[in-house]
Amino acid sequence: MDIKTKISIINQIPEIEKVCDSVSAFGEENGLSTKIIFAFHLALDEILTNIISYGYRDKDEHVIDINLSLQAGALALEILDDSVPFDPSEAPVPDINQPLEERKIGGLGIYLVKNLMDEVEYKSKDGINRLTLKKKF
Amino acid sequence: MIIKTDKIDHINIFSIQGRLDSNSSGDLERQLISLIDQGETHFILDFSALEYISSAGLRVLLQAAKKLNAIHGKMTLCSVRSEVKQVFDIAGLTSIFSMFNDPNSAVKALM
Repeated sequence: MDIKTKISIINQIPEIEKVCDSVSAFGEENGLSTKIIFAFHLALDEILTNIISYGYRDKDEHVIDINLSLQAGALALEILDDSVPFDPSEAPVPDINQPLEERKIGGLGIYLVKNLMDEVEYKSKDGINRLTLKKKF
Repeated sequence: MIIKTDKIDHINIFSIQGRLDSNSSGDLERQLISLIDQGETHFILDFSALEYISSAGLRVLLQAAKKLNAIHGKMTLCSVRSEVKQVFDIAGLTSIFSMFNDPNSAVKALM
């Protein structure tokens, strides 16, 4: 049986830390490695920072739901929000082989998430974005 | 995040403790970039107590490295933990930032 937990936050940057703390607690309860917890902290940090900083056209309070589920041999995370639709697979891929002079300083966030996770799946339906991230262990 | 700064000769040493993320990267940016703008050219970032780095942290480091490169300055990292090192590997930054196992080796390299 899957072990699940749900975290809800509002669209404020300091709320990200609460989610990371909950993931750490969930990880400790279920004996997950530091490596897995680190990867999910990074993914949450990058994705939630993007949603909160760039995803809303108004200044209202919005709720973001995060579902964690421990499956057979993998940890899965779902982020549900009502921000502007954004499919990470369409994000431009940074050229990481460029010399320092030519390298752009930004655009690494989504790239890191895609590389640290085994699965990244995005769906948008009825104004709700659903991003699923999965990492095997 | 806590930043402790030290100076040996012309080398500025920043020991960074905790998490370098979107919430804290502004602090490092202010301290590091302002020293470069004041004419400092040699930096060691001691990451022995750095638990975590996100793209916001990498952005500040790249920004500093670009500024230093333009004035023939130098910045090296030392004591980077394996999870943090992995982020540098994925982002293709291990070829841009030299890394040493301990602060002494980093100091020797910059002397």
